[in-house]
Amino acid sequence: MIEVGAALVVWLGAALIVLADARRGLALGLAAVTIGFAVLAWGSGQPVGAIALLVGGLTGALRCWTPGPATWGLMPPGSTPRLVLCVAAGLLSLWISASVTTTPGGPLLFAVLVVLGLMAARVLSGGDKVADLTAIACFALALASSPALASSIPTAPVPYIFGALIAAAVVVAPVTLPQGAARSGKDGG
Amino acid sequence: MAAELLLAAAATLILAVVLAPPRVQRAGLLTRGLVGLAGMAAIAIAPTLDLILLILLVLAVLQAGLVSHRDFASRVRAPVLAIALLALGLAFERVEGPPLLLRFGAVGIVAGLVAAIGLLPYLHEFDPEESTVASPIPWIAFVGPVLAVAVLSRVKQVLPADASDAFGAMLIGLGLLNVLWGTVAAWRTESDAAAWRYSFLSDWGLVLCGFGLAIADGQGAALILLLSIVLGRLPLYLWSRQGVRDKTPTDRPINLLVAAALAGSAPFAGFAARVMLLRGATQIYWPLAVVLAAAMLLWLPASLRLGRSMGLPRGRQAIGVAIVLALSVFLGIYPQPLLALAG
Repeated sequence: MIEVGAALVVWLGAALIVLADARRGLALGLAAVTIGFAVLAWGSGQPVGAIALLVGGLTGALRCWTPGPATWGLMPPGSTPRLVLCVAAGLLSLWISASVTTTPGGPLLFAVLVVLGLMAARVLSGGDKVADLTAIACFALALASSPALASSIPTAPVPYIFGALIAAAVVVAPVTLPQGAARSGKDGG
Repeated sequence: MAAELLLAAAATLILAVVLAPPRVQRAGLLTRGLVGLAGMAAIAIAPTLDLILLILLVLAVLQAGLVSHRDFASRVRAPVLAIALLALGLAFERVEGPPLLLRFGAVGIVAGLVAAIGLLPYLHEFDPEESTVASPIPWIAFVGPVLAVAVLSRVKQVLPADASDAFGAMLIGLGLLNVLWGTVAAWRTESDAAAWRYSFLSDWGLVLCGFGLAIADGQGAALILLLSIVLGRLPLYLWSRQGVRDKTPTDRPINLLVAAALAGSAPFAGFAARVMLLRGATQIYWPLAVVLAAAMLLWLPASLRLGRSMGLPRGRQAIGVAIVLALSVFLGIYPQPLLALAG
């Protein structure tokens, strides 16, 4: 039951990231996704992985929360398609994980599918850089958690730790060099 | 196979840095190339597909963070979609479910791989004026070969036997599509730079067909073609950029030699690969060999165009072109040690 709740928290967090355009909304979404995946990792017998995800994801969420204007930016005008996308992605993932597959790790499958689908949609829809980086951080958390889907193969904490590091780094580290002198292949021949 | 491609990529980086035109910032090119090489090495030694996807995510963010007039979102879009498709495909392969789900998983993995390399239309925006390191070219010609080999070797661990045939068929189908698309687009486009990009697509089409054949000849052909992309087409593209900008098509013997190398004529590396590919296709399904042979012949005029677009190489460029052509001839005449090394 806890795992089902955690999967729903993951969906809620991913939906927040899709629906929010400002830092606080994105930070809350990342935190929810982090907590959800950490609980799921703990439930699949990976306490080290769960702690790693929690530290990495919450570091990213904290960094996302602090700078910039203190606004949530939730559901700005014209958000109906995004809302429909969140509901549809949730229902499709629920159908696949609960009805199509017979695997015992249904909640984890639901969480992985919904995050991959919604975050890919978020990046493809072309938001601002902070939203894209937050979506990529969620991606890292989902990718780190997905090895546990294979019930026959024992999972190691390495993907969790690596995924958590990426989730923290992409939000914390400045990844863009100063603009200017971008054209004419000065650095690449 | 990945080790050979990694070595080839390192050699290309050295060639590109040492023989770069004077106006190119060598330190920046070397730093970014080394970061890419480190990522490729990590991809090659990563034990699982999940780790490969995480490394790919890091590389995508790093490349999207480079200086460019294209925004972050447009540059990170293609790799993120690729990772999403690969991860979804992998998830479907891992769970227990109906066979249809496994086939959807195979579709996701193939589509993700194709998107990661840069073969999906309209996803990778290509601007001839953009610096090469920030453009989609590193994905298709530098990181892509190692990534494809790593993904295809790891995917065997998760792909069930009944999905393997569908997987191979999809690779061949997409390969043929890319060969034809690359060839026709290279003919029709007005931009020489775009024609160079389409030439990579066409070569990749043959590579995908080779991997899809799943026999020794096909794999060997794919390896030689990948090496000819990394060690041949990529450096030639880099050295052609000035000629393409100046729009000075030249009809010297060196341009004809470059055109022959790009077309895969004897005695260059592409010829051995094409012969192996045709031999493999004949073993599996002979009409495929006929289609492949027709596509290979169609590529000749576009290769002449690319050869002419290089202009007349001078100084360092000329040395670089000579080295690349010599390597290509060596690989074309004597590919056996390389094939034996790759197993």
